[in-house]
Amino acid sequence: MTVKEFELPDVGEGIAEGELVSWQVSPGDTVSEGDIVAEVETDKALVEVPSSYDGTVKELFAEEGEMVPVGDVIISFNVEEPEAGDAEAEAPDTENKPGESTEEAKTDTEEAASAETPDGRVFAPPAARRLARELGVDISDVEGSGPGGRVSEADVRAHHEKAEEHDETAAETPVNPAAEDESAGASAGAAASTTATSGEAAREKTLAVPATRALAEELGVDIDAVPTEKTRDGQPFVEREDVRAFAQSGGEAAEAATASASATGEGAREETVPYRGVRRTIGEQMAASKYTAPHVTHHDTAVIDELVETRADLKETAEEKGTRLTYMAFVLKAVVAGLKEYPILNSELDEEEGVIRLKNYYNIGIAVATDAGLMVPVVKNVDEKGLLELADEINDLATRARERSISPEEMQGGTFTVTNFGAFGGEYATPIINHPETAIIGLGAIEQRPVVEDSEVVPAHTLPLSLAIDHRVIDGAEAAKFTNTVKEYLAEPTKLLL
Amino acid sequence: MVVGDVTTGTEVLVVGAGPGGYVAAIRAAQNGLDTTLVDRDAYGGTCLNYGCIPSKALISATDVAHDARNATEMGVHADPVIHTDEMQEWKEGVVDQLTSGVEKLCKANGVNLIEGEATFVDDSTARIAHGGEGQGSETIDFEHAIVATGSRPIQVPGFEFEHDPIWSSRDALEVEEPPEKLLVVGAGYIGMELSTVFAKMGVDVTVVEMLDGILPGYEDDVSRVVKQRADDLGIDFNFGEAANEWEETGDGVVVTTENEDGEESTYDADKVLVAVGRQPVSDSLDPEAAGVEVDEQGFIPTDDQARTNVENVFAVGDVAGEPMLAHKASKEGIVAAEVIAGEPAALDQQAIPAAVFTDPEIATVGMTEEEAEEAGFTPKIGEFPFRASGRSLSTGEDEGFVRIVAEEDAGFILGAQIVGPEASELIAELALAIEMGATLEDVASTVHTHPTLAEAVMEAAENADDQAIHTLNR
Repeated sequence: MTVKEFELPDVGEGIAEGELVSWQVSPGDTVSEGDIVAEVETDKALVEVPSSYDGTVKELFAEEGEMVPVGDVIISFNVEEPEAGDAEAEAPDTENKPGESTEEAKTDTEEAASAETPDGRVFAPPAARRLARELGVDISDVEGSGPGGRVSEADVRAHHEKAEEHDETAAETPVNPAAEDESAGASAGAAASTTATSGEAAREKTLAVPATRALAEELGVDIDAVPTEKTRDGQPFVEREDVRAFAQSGGEAAEAATASASATGEGAREETVPYRGVRRTIGEQMAASKYTAPHVTHHDTAVIDELVETRADLKETAEEKGTRLTYMAFVLKAVVAGLKEYPILNSELDEEEGVIRLKNYYNIGIAVATDAGLMVPVVKNVDEKGLLELADEINDLATRARERSISPEEMQGGTFTVTNFGAFGGEYATPIINHPETAIIGLGAIEQRPVVEDSEVVPAHTLPLSLAIDHRVIDGAEAAKFTNTVKEYLAEPTKLLL
Repeated sequence: MVVGDVTTGTEVLVVGAGPGGYVAAIRAAQNGLDTTLVDRDAYGGTCLNYGCIPSKALISATDVAHDARNATEMGVHADPVIHTDEMQEWKEGVVDQLTSGVEKLCKANGVNLIEGEATFVDDSTARIAHGGEGQGSETIDFEHAIVATGSRPIQVPGFEFEHDPIWSSRDALEVEEPPEKLLVVGAGYIGMELSTVFAKMGVDVTVVEMLDGILPGYEDDVSRVVKQRADDLGIDFNFGEAANEWEETGDGVVVTTENEDGEESTYDADKVLVAVGRQPVSDSLDPEAAGVEVDEQGFIPTDDQARTNVENVFAVGDVAGEPMLAHKASKEGIVAAEVIAGEPAALDQQAIPAAVFTDPEIATVGMTEEEAEEAGFTPKIGEFPFRASGRSLSTGEDEGFVRIVAEEDAGFILGAQIVGPEASELIAELALAIEMGATLEDVASTVHTHPTLAEAVMEAAENADDQAIHTLNR
């Protein structure tokens, strides 16, 4: 029998931690590879963590409800000793364990290696230790290639280069979100990837002068999370203004504030609610968007008597086909028609490259209120789908978002977002753009309202529209013209047939 | 400032010219730093003048006599006569050669040498009082200071070294006329080394020790080998007794000891050697004036770059804490000098070897089996007895053994204990092995010269995997 430790895998691009919602096993339980051992709520979704081993559960290292950083050991197993001959075959396996069905879970082999040595002992010759000091590498993080994991100078160098590459990639991520799905992509008005959109870093080591560290502590900012492109001696270097900027943009400061508020203990007059998981992602995302993009909101009202009729006509037919036809399907179609005419609203600003990326595909995010908070599933390639297909997909995504069974991928890759706050009533709002998208349209409640027709006030079904734009990219005139187009299509839905 | 002071400036002020200080000074100068080395006494410090070197000289000299006297088994019959004064002369010659060598090396590397006693004024100034009346003093401004003031023998109350019959280790090493009867207080490594020297000179040696055995800190099966030889040399041991008082009689002294139960014993002796340990010298320098913290025992705490709590003040060697070993001091001195020069040096050694020059020698490095277990390893042990070594038998020195402690999985060597002939030399291979992260297989697979004692190291490594050829694998 050997003891195998299992770390919280990387459950989604750049997610740094997850809340351990529940354990599905207890110490002593027998598990097989692939069995679900825990449920972890990440920034975006509830993820099931499967076992990578056959064996019995030895120990659980996290409490339910605890926030666990990716890479921390959460559970250990007693596992049958592998045959001696298997030892080598097993080694590369750690990179890509089977049973990580949900996500590209990845255990950190380096940490695994060092965790095996008692006493924190690293077996490395003096020259390698000196090199590690020179490069600022913590030698206990280096994976040794020698017999038994002995660390050579080459290993230290390789680790250092890998770390630098990693840093570069991290810095580039937000620059290149055109690549759909994979990276920053953008997803939910609220719930996009932490790394990509809030620009939060997750370094192991950060150089900073003591005053900067003190400031970070004061502001409750994790200095390793402060984004920077500056380096000193090849190491990421953070200065005071970076810490301030990060703290303002959300960062971890709010969390620290919550923590200290609860520490002061105001008795029953106050209650603290943890600011984390989906809530925190929403917060960070909103702050990042609002502080980055100068928002301008354009309001208008579409008169949609005809649409109401059309929908009423089609509703029964749709129901016969098993589809609940909603206004949202029509709205998406109208929006795409507008976007095709004014592609600047289906874009993204790449400041790094100094370009505006216009998207020739139409992935429309739909903001959905859930118990956990706002989620934005994305309907892909709306222009290629029919009304019924869209309606089905919207309903499905919304249902699964509410049930929290939606996967992070289904909330990524959006190019424009629609938010239907009108479902709860109200007319106009000032929506926050799902950064790095450049526009979002908000729908008020569809109601009969007085409109002037031929110099007379008459009742008509109207849909109030609130279009927020990133004024760096889009001008007010374009916003107005786009809104006019959308209005036209909503007013005369038969146009959508063209 | 005192009238007549001359103020000079230096980038690095090193206080104390022992193996910590002079090595630091030379390395600092090699790194292009303007370096000043101050010592109130002698270049080379305790090690060269009153410690390692003179004691080893006397150990070797008395070994020659002792071995010659006891070589009848080899067919050699001799009755050597020891002329202690000549032995001292030779020893002094060795010491002089080394200390003048240190002085020359310092000068050749451009180190400024000053004789005098340094005292901190603040964290960038020290005053150097030159030796003797009317010799004046000077003030030195420094950017960095390295404190390497060493240690001195601990005095037992009542047994102060100013009394003529009471010897410190330094007095013992300078003896011109060996006493007939010597009482040694303390059975640590200094007491044991010197007891052996005097026993081999033909002195009647009695040892009293407060603890219940010799050489505390070493494993029983290691110290037992030395104890056995000491018994054979006629050294009389009395454990569990503390020296209480002494009084002069007509032709010597009577020392009264007391055991735990309050029972007293008395010992007649001509001289009393007090060797109960050493304590750091940190008082005369007034480290507090520079803001440097000193702990209750007088040690100056340092970090892994030999830096004290004051940014520009470093401390190395005995004054910076245990183990009080010359080679540890030198390593720290080098690190301090390199850190000052801006290099990424650190005290990151995995182990510091130690040797006791008893008969036979003891040398250790790294962890014992027990320490490895405590650290969380599953230790794997390999041993080889010297009586199974051809070279050992052919020198007539066949007691003791080599033991290697390794970790179970990959066989990384964690520690070694050697008791036996040339243990102090043999340990170097295992110190290198530990430092390099070598495994049992690395040592076992290295071809060792035959016939040498070093083969015992190889065989001990093989024995850990039950592969030794010349001993039965347990």
